[in-house]
Amino acid sequence: MKERSPSEVVLAAHISVQYGDRSPVLRGVSLEIGRGEVLGLVGQSGSGKSTLAMAILGLLDRKRARAEGTIEFDGCDLLKLPERELRGLRGRKIALVLQSPLSSLNPALKIRTQLKEAWRAHAAGDSTDCEAAIRAALQSVSLPSTDEFVRKYPSQMSVGQAQRVLIAMAVLHRPALLIADEATSALDVITQSEILALFRELNRSFGMAILYISHDLASVAGICDRIAILHEGQIVESGTTVEVLTNPRHEYTQRLMAAMPKMPREVAARKAAAI
Amino acid sequence: MMDVQTKLAGMRTAARKAITVSIVLLGLLGGSAIAQGGELRFCLRSEPKTFDPLKVEDDASVAIRYLTGGVLVRLNRQTQALEPELAQSWKVSKDGKQITFRLRGGVSFSDGTPFSAEDVAYTVQQLMDPALHSPTGDAFRSGPGNVDTKIISPTEISITFPAPVAGLDRQFDQVAILSAHSAKKEMAVLGPFMVADYKPGTSVLLKRNPNYWKSDAQGRKLPYLDSVRLDIQPNRDVEMLRFKRSEIDLINSLDSEYFDKLASTSPQLVHDAGPSLDSEQMWFNEVAKAPLPEFKKNWFRSATFRRAVSEAINREDLSRVVFRGHAQPAAGPVSPANKFWFNSSLKAQAYAPDAALKALQGDGFRMQNGTLIDKSGNAVVFSIITNSGNKYRERMATMIQEDLQKIGIHVNVVTLDFPSLIERMTQTFDYEAILLGLTNVGLDPNEQMNVWLSSSENHQWNPQEKAPETAWEAEIDRLMRAQASSADPRTRKESFDRVQEIAVEQSPFIYLVNRNALSAVATTVQGASPVILVPQTYWNAEQLSVKEVKSANHTGY
Amino acid sequence: MRILRRNFWRNLACAILLAVVGVSVAANWLAPGGYAKQYREATDAGPTRQHWLGTDEIGRDRFARVLYGTRISLLLAPAAALLSTLMAALVGGLGGYLGGRWARGAMAVTDLFLSLPWLFLLITVRALMPLNVSPLASVLVTFLILGLLGWTSAARVLCSTAGSLRESDFVRQARASGIRGTRLFWIHVLPNLKPVLYAQFWISIPAFILSEANLGILGLGVAEPMPSWGSLLKELEGLVSVGEEPWKFVPLLLLVVVVTSFQLVLSKQEEVSA
Repeated sequence: MKERSPSEVVLAAHISVQYGDRSPVLRGVSLEIGRGEVLGLVGQSGSGKSTLAMAILGLLDRKRARAEGTIEFDGCDLLKLPERELRGLRGRKIALVLQSPLSSLNPALKIRTQLKEAWRAHAAGDSTDCEAAIRAALQSVSLPSTDEFVRKYPSQMSVGQAQRVLIAMAVLHRPALLIADEATSALDVITQSEILALFRELNRSFGMAILYISHDLASVAGICDRIAILHEGQIVESGTTVEVLTNPRHEYTQRLMAAMPKMPREVAARKAAAI
Repeated sequence: MMDVQTKLAGMRTAARKAITVSIVLLGLLGGSAIAQGGELRFCLRSEPKTFDPLKVEDDASVAIRYLTGGVLVRLNRQTQALEPELAQSWKVSKDGKQITFRLRGGVSFSDGTPFSAEDVAYTVQQLMDPALHSPTGDAFRSGPGNVDTKIISPTEISITFPAPVAGLDRQFDQVAILSAHSAKKEMAVLGPFMVADYKPGTSVLLKRNPNYWKSDAQGRKLPYLDSVRLDIQPNRDVEMLRFKRSEIDLINSLDSEYFDKLASTSPQLVHDAGPSLDSEQMWFNEVAKAPLPEFKKNWFRSATFRRAVSEAINREDLSRVVFRGHAQPAAGPVSPANKFWFNSSLKAQAYAPDAALKALQGDGFRMQNGTLIDKSGNAVVFSIITNSGNKYRERMATMIQEDLQKIGIHVNVVTLDFPSLIERMTQTFDYEAILLGLTNVGLDPNEQMNVWLSSSENHQWNPQEKAPETAWEAEIDRLMRAQASSADPRTRKESFDRVQEIAVEQSPFIYLVNRNALSAVATTVQGASPVILVPQTYWNAEQLSVKEVKSANHTGY
Repeated sequence: MRILRRNFWRNLACAILLAVVGVSVAANWLAPGGYAKQYREATDAGPTRQHWLGTDEIGRDRFARVLYGTRISLLLAPAAALLSTLMAALVGGLGGYLGGRWARGAMAVTDLFLSLPWLFLLITVRALMPLNVSPLASVLVTFLILGLLGWTSAARVLCSTAGSLRESDFVRQARASGIRGTRLFWIHVLPNLKPVLYAQFWISIPAFILSEANLGILGLGVAEPMPSWGSLLKELEGLVSVGEEPWKFVPLLLLVVVVTSFQLVLSKQEEVSA
């Protein structure tokens, strides 16, 4: 792996997490995300992916989970930061997009209210500033910013729209790092590809680093610069997307590769012939 | 005394005439008018606590004692005269300590054990045994010491109490004689019925006592009834419903609302026996150490004030509205139902708000914008407490509230649960006025000693005075003691008449109404003649009979 | 079409409520005899031209009593219900949301309240109150007590609901957006407790109206001669059949109509948000 200067690194984590006396969920995981880089973190459910995301955001249950190590972000160790300062980072510097868009939006509130709350959490400004920021964020995720739209409740939108709203909320403050935790897993294939394209787009236009967490190697492959494979709480392999996909070294990666859907040979051949 | 005797004599003549008439009727009807046999059914409103007649305290047990117990003397509930039962005659000594009974011979208990003076001695010893704590015995425990029973012969006994007992002979109305020898203990009885079956929570079945000594005028053995079935039913609505369905034959005491409802559909079933001994009354707190402001105590301790309040209450309206006419304005402490002891010169206080206001103005009160103000400028406001859940009292209080508003007195009506009310009334004295009813069981003034003596606990307006605090209380004390120590009914009556007059003049209790005794009896019950004294409907149970019920009535459900 | 129909019912409910409030406010003009005057010559009477709903047992005009009783109950019962709902939200909702020790604490307080011997406590309250309390003060205190006591069962439901909300995705998402704790509770947790809170509020109103009447047994509640719905409903206790004296059921009918109307008017918002 190529060495990078500290200024190029947005987040560097060396961390172990353990719940109570049970065996550790994360065992000495080391991870670096460069500025503007999209890092894919792949692992099956239970491998500790979400724990890592929560650890970065400082949202681990402090009473039950014990985190050791360091998470360097913007020159400070997130694990040592007091809650008040952590809160200041959440949503402003580090944003999160969760798996299930409909349950991640509050069913009792109009989306405008939810966006407004997210904006107010970090910005002091009058309602015109707020409206402008919301409009800009919605436009950046290709959603209508009309009054009619923002007055909707989550139940009145499609899943794809809801996911875009969540992403809009996440990019409201132009964070340096966006953590997408299985952000496309619940979507149908077409919506999934649209959202992936949107992430790529946001990554390019805002220069925003993305930690893209997924169990699905195929979807990761499409947008990530680099891939890290998480297996049983440890990073078993990491490298550029091409490296990992073409030359998987670890046995688990190989199994993942083998499980990827392939086009049947004849169909591929016929397609090739047609072209 | 003369006129009393004449009165009683007159009554006896009347009774004899009645018997003659009924014999004539019987002759005409061929002797089949009184059906022999049958079962009388009615409800007890609570579970009987005991079948031991000496331990009886609750109403349900009293009812069973009345039906099963044989007594030496019985107070005739209709004539209010004391009549011989197991004792053929009796004599009370001059000092009121000793009574000698001459007993009926040839009587046996329900189990066949013969009855003799020994049983009376045994019963009286048990009654007075401090270890037994007999509530019935309390009436006889007028002083320290032991009771002495002397069996003169198997049919004659003399009983000497350590101290004079007020109305000694009448008290024996409550003493059911136990057998000294029977193996069945208190279940061997001398009364018309005996307990045959008891299902706790459900019913008590009484069967006729085959050894009962009494016979009717034709020599037929009493009681006529084969059995009495007492269902335990605390809910009065259910009781009423069962009566309507002919599942029970009588309701001993009805309230006026039920009475009117029943009367509207079946007037032949209801009986209004006229004013009972029960009275409804209110009184002011006259306790010196009560936690009340001085100016209020001054009002309450002023007879003018109390009388004015009494005059400003419209008793006619209370009787008519609250009790739907089934009550009479009360004249004083004794109900006119108490034939001998009622002071007939007393009349119920007429409604006289103008006179009341005038009297108050004469005492330094004045009206100002519709509010009565006392000498020192305090508006006259007080609260009347009554027990919650009794709608009659709540309504009376509300009507009194409006009546008194007319003379500028502002009343707050407060309903309290009974224990809280009693606590305020007897412990903390934290009250201004109370409206309650008084149930009188006995007829004799001696049974009211505890209310009138200023040293008594039940001297409610100012209990346990060390010495009488007012001249009129001292006078009442003197008169009550005088009547208690005299054996001459005429002097006793004179004293007690005066007590009643003072009670009205001073109005420590403001008597409101005497409620009527209301009952319901099915037409199948023959021989019923409801009276005002408890037990109103079945006081002559041994003479009652129940006509065969047609089966149609039973297939109603 | 559906919306139109729903609007019709809603407007009707609004109109009914306005009418009831209006009529009760105008009681002084509509029933100039007042609620306390006893027409002793016409007690327990049926409807006449003078007494539209007849008179009660001691001859007071039932129509006047219903109007004045409406004033008292319509003002105080919802106020007490609001108080109890807020208490439930505060103890149950906040406790459940904060979780852990707080939730256990909230439940402990709730259990304590549920297990307290209220009868004795209320008797003590009555004993502490002076005897000469004006009827209005008495009824105020009663509703205050009801409001302060009536929240416990709702608090239990709220506590568990709030507990599960705490673990929900949107709360996690909101926390990840950096929204402050208290704000999170107000904005994200409380609105989702609305159905439970609404239920508590609507159940409380009739319950409190009836409890007020029953507290009369302890010398609390509205005092004579003042009327309340509770004391008017008490009249129905001994009544055997509806057919006999239907006018006595007017207070009950009014209670049902008013509570239903309130529900119709306010459930509108809930429906949209659901």
